[in-house]
Amino acid sequence: MAKALVVDDSKTMRTILGKMLVGIGYEVCQAGNGREALEVMDREYPDVSLVLADWNMPEMNGLDLIKIVRSNPLYSSMPILMITTRGTEHDVVEALQAKVNSYIMKPFTPQELKEKIEGILKTVQVSAV
Amino acid sequence: MNQQEVEKVLQKAAEMKVFCEYGQRTIPVLDEIAGFLNEISPAIEDLKAVLEVAMVNIPRASGQLIRVTEATEQASTQILNTLDKMVATLDQVITSVSSGMVASDLGVATNKMAGIVKTLVEKSGWDADIVELAEAWAAHLRSMKMSGPTSNLERLLKDLQDDCTEIMMALQVQDITQQHIGTVMGTIQAVAEELRKLTTGFFSVPAVQPLSINLPLPNDSEVVGELERKKMVESLLSKARAGQL
Repeated sequence: MAKALVVDDSKTMRTILGKMLVGIGYEVCQAGNGREALEVMDREYPDVSLVLADWNMPEMNGLDLIKIVRSNPLYSSMPILMITTRGTEHDVVEALQAKVNSYIMKPFTPQELKEKIEGILKTVQVSAV
Repeated sequence: MNQQEVEKVLQKAAEMKVFCEYGQRTIPVLDEIAGFLNEISPAIEDLKAVLEVAMVNIPRASGQLIRVTEATEQASTQILNTLDKMVATLDQVITSVSSGMVASDLGVATNKMAGIVKTLVEKSGWDADIVELAEAWAAHLRSMKMSGPTSNLERLLKDLQDDCTEIMMALQVQDITQQHIGTVMGTIQAVAEELRKLTTGFFSVPAVQPLSINLPLPNDSEVVGELERKKMVESLLSKARAGQL
């Protein structure tokens, strides 16, 4: 079973996302901020195959996490979905420049999340070919 | 005193005349300023008192907002856990219903009857009449499972499960609210800091340290509606995919 890492400082969101992902067929691990996420990714390597990261988090935010992940050759092609309430054009462009694979705004339905993940996985497969 | 010295004295006298004329014009202005200061002095005292209260109340308000956020997160977790248990319980009930093992008097009686029929078949050494009875009983059980009330019940239970899932998803609002409260707290903190500077610099009121708030402070993006923002995000993602960004 594929494993997804949920990175969010809100326990509520981690629980909700965890349930949605289990519903889609993922095994789920969690982290409360970017720094913890890096630890989990290293600990679980190479099992984590998808990262869902919130933007606003204490200690290390989602954007900084993505920049660090992308700079690591082990994770440079890791599919990453940014999950946030930030929705200005500037925010989206900034996230895309940090090389997130996709971006979803809260609140969202399980179906919307599933479609986003499927979209990311298709893109990743195409670029791998 | 020679001519030169006289001229110097006259020059000084002229300067003094100008100074006195200037003073005569300035004195009323200074009087007005003094009057104005006398008038606003009570207002400044009032403002000082208001600022002193504000410097206590603003950190208190921030603290209250933090507690609200913590309480709503705790409540949301409790609701999620309860919903989780409900979904699991509903799962068990649905399984029982679909296998005809409803925990009711009817279910108990049905199970007892099934046991008796099975024993009869075994004891009779597979007597044809008894086997026929067992087959008729099995057909009866199948029809019971497929009958309206049970399938309706199953559907209703699944509807309840879906409702539980919807409530779980709606709890995302807790996180969104928390982030907006974070934005408001950021603004309050900034105002408190400016007031602190004002009180320490102008009124010399002892400063109250603002609370340290660790909540994330998102930028203010709620000006545009949620749907519009989602559309904009999708449009930007499409552009990025097409390499147009």
